[in-house]
Amino acid sequence: MHGISWRKRSSQAGLSLLLLCAVGLAGCTQGASSVQESQALAASHPRDELVLAVGTEPEGGFDPTTGWGQYGSPLFQSTLLKRDAKLQLVNDLATDYSVSEDGLTWTVSLRDDVKFSDGEPLTAEDVKFTFETAASSGSVIDLTNMAKVQAPDSTTVVFTLKSPQSTFISILTTLGIVPEHAYGSDYAEHPVGSGPYKLVQWDKGQQAIVEANEQYYGQKSAFRKLTFLYLDEDAAFAAAQAGSVDIAAIPAAFSKQQVSGMTLESVKTVDNRGIMFPMQPAGGTSADGFPAGNDVTSDLAIRQAVNVAIDRNALVEGVLEGHGRPAYSVSDDLPWGNPDAVFADADVQEAQRILTAGGWADTDGDGVVEKNGMDAEFNLLYFAGDLTRQSLALAAADMAAQAGIKINVEGKSREETKKQAYANAVLFGWGSHDPLETYNLYSSTHKGEGYYNVGLYSNPAVDSWMQQALQATSEEAALPFWQKAEWDGKTGFSYQGDAPWAWLVNIDHLYLVKDGLNIGEQQIHPHGHGWPVTSNLEEWSWDDNSK
Amino acid sequence: MTGILEWGRYVGVKLLRLLSLLAGVSVVAFILMQFSPVDPIEAYIGGDMIRVSAEQRSLIEERWGLNDPPAQRLFTWGQALLQGDLGTSMIYRQPVADIIQERFLNSVALMAVAWILSGLIGFSLGVVAAMKRESMLDRLICWYCYTLASTPVFWIALLLLMVFGVWLGWLPVGLGVPAGMAADQVTWTDRAIHMVLPALTLSLTGVAAIALHTRQKLLDVLDSDYILFARARGERGVQLFRRHGFRHVVLPALTLQFASFSELFGGAVLAEQVFSYPGLGQATVQAGLRGDVPLLLGLVLCSTIFVFTGNLLADILYRFIDPRMKEELLT
Repeated sequence: MHGISWRKRSSQAGLSLLLLCAVGLAGCTQGASSVQESQALAASHPRDELVLAVGTEPEGGFDPTTGWGQYGSPLFQSTLLKRDAKLQLVNDLATDYSVSEDGLTWTVSLRDDVKFSDGEPLTAEDVKFTFETAASSGSVIDLTNMAKVQAPDSTTVVFTLKSPQSTFISILTTLGIVPEHAYGSDYAEHPVGSGPYKLVQWDKGQQAIVEANEQYYGQKSAFRKLTFLYLDEDAAFAAAQAGSVDIAAIPAAFSKQQVSGMTLESVKTVDNRGIMFPMQPAGGTSADGFPAGNDVTSDLAIRQAVNVAIDRNALVEGVLEGHGRPAYSVSDDLPWGNPDAVFADADVQEAQRILTAGGWADTDGDGVVEKNGMDAEFNLLYFAGDLTRQSLALAAADMAAQAGIKINVEGKSREETKKQAYANAVLFGWGSHDPLETYNLYSSTHKGEGYYNVGLYSNPAVDSWMQQALQATSEEAALPFWQKAEWDGKTGFSYQGDAPWAWLVNIDHLYLVKDGLNIGEQQIHPHGHGWPVTSNLEEWSWDDNSK
Repeated sequence: MTGILEWGRYVGVKLLRLLSLLAGVSVVAFILMQFSPVDPIEAYIGGDMIRVSAEQRSLIEERWGLNDPPAQRLFTWGQALLQGDLGTSMIYRQPVADIIQERFLNSVALMAVAWILSGLIGFSLGVVAAMKRESMLDRLICWYCYTLASTPVFWIALLLLMVFGVWLGWLPVGLGVPAGMAADQVTWTDRAIHMVLPALTLSLTGVAAIALHTRQKLLDVLDSDYILFARARGERGVQLFRRHGFRHVVLPALTLQFASFSELFGGAVLAEQVFSYPGLGQATVQAGLRGDVPLLLGLVLCSTIFVFTGNLLADILYRFIDPRMKEELLT
């Protein structure tokens, strides 16, 4: 890939200069021996301590009511429910929950033995306080559908929703509970919570040092102390090479370089990339007044042909260096994904057959099929500067060209993309542990809202299945409806149905892990690299014969 | 008496200039931010885009006053500034003044070390090169300066990181303090060791300009008649330089050195980014990339004052070193 070869070239070219510098500066480093000592010390830190470089700094601090803990786990706070390695719901603070027939009232019972790290008990009042604070914080926590929250007694919380929302459960699994008595303007810097760890020190722009919370009610982690380093990708990789971290998140571009004493671990994700097609004929306008629609991509035959012509395994091997898997939907391998939506791809003949059946043919012999005098040609935009997206877009365009579809790949800024997305295909990335994402992407209620459903897709049958999914009283009961929205045997947003997207790949998240460190069974990670790896810290351990 | 009055007038004029400069710079910075393609809401939401409904977006806009017309926002900001309030950073959710204060201390230490080192080394190299004109040493110094002057700061930073951090393992690869160490156990030695690589990066690149200018200036001086006269009297080498050269070259060197505050600041932004050093540079990059207007304006003000101070100090020093300048002021 570009990144690697550039690095290699620059390091070769710089070698002579570098040697000169090294010779010239050798005299300036008399303090070196003491540094070596301290580094040796750092490398042999006790078995119950870890140094991690797995994500960017939460600059806003560690306040769940303004967004901390949305990915991975809030670490210092605990949530009402959580998801296990199989993404199944399990209790955390809650002992039980129920949803009323109409889906509007959620009642959650709490454990009565939970204490915050300052020794005060956690009660329903704290939960009420947390949700009310989050709802009014004007932050990324979206509680606009919550009418009110009440605490009738110390172990019961009752949520009242404005409209049924089975995905409300996702907020219960991500919003960490803060203590009403210890919450103030500096809470984000000095969090108190009931989670497995407590914050000891936060050196802004550098690191956070945390220690085990003795008051924690759940399974204790094997590690007493954790140090999270906030390093850039390059710096994190350098730190791993220097042996000063136990685990580091790295981009795929670094994956071919060996680091002694560390093993590369790939974690499966739904961090996906796919091509979004404008679904309506050209000539319309979006809600914000931008031109919408595309005569080529609004033709089902084109969308299906692109889908089936693409060799997803080749994309994984060629672009992701093998660190990923083909994507056939927005929610591959998630409970609400439909396994029937998978299809045989890399089939140019099938693509040509679909095009012919759809009335497309190459009559002028230029290699591009036409219909009614219009070439099968459209633009595919990606966010300029994102190398992975660029490579995926170019490779997908090559594959579609074999079937006679001409895709012009163009890099654009986010702002520019936003304006042009309604009329051009775009390479986007999604992937969440919340089925609400599926709703946002495919429901006609979210047509043209921000980055949701930019293709202006609308199918009454899909809408109706998804409405039933939202109105279901439990996530489990909602699952079949989500799957039917994808493909119910007749229609849906899968390839077999309307094919409003051509999903390409799910990108593995890569971590360099010190030999002997066992990071347990990882969940399928959502979009966003780094933090999610910590969601099962209590399962991490050193192999007995290591270190 | 007149001396004091003159100095008073001098300081007054400079202060007025600084104030108008600050006003101008913040208006320009604000306008540039308005034209920047960064959507502050999106930058604020970041990766969490998925969870945020249109309704919630408008809540965020309201919370941060992003709905108001730009002119009104700038006015509100200016009004608060006059009362000493720099506003609240969107990404750090903390008062801007606190962030700047905290990071300024880190950056200032780093820049001061780099500045003094590059000044001393650069000046000495320039003098040596000129005194040994056309020798191997002169050529070597010039080659070194030209190479460094045309090398990006971040690239030097990466090289140093690779050699001393990764290959040799002598120095830490990043941060300002040792990983995982409690704040009360961090010693000054620890801090100094973590500062070595970023400071080295900055001083390495800072050396070039001052060395080349000093060399050129000293060459001019050496070609003058009075040097010829001094040589004729038998003065050579160090003695010649001390008696006739030093005063002539130290002034331009000092000017250049103080005027280099802006490059120093710019270099620090890049070096801090590479070494994850928690200074102003890191905050500037974050503020710019994520459309954090209050923080960026605060940083712009801070860096303007910083660069202005550098130039002012050069000005004042002139008056002390070269008495002729004082007379110029009186006329």
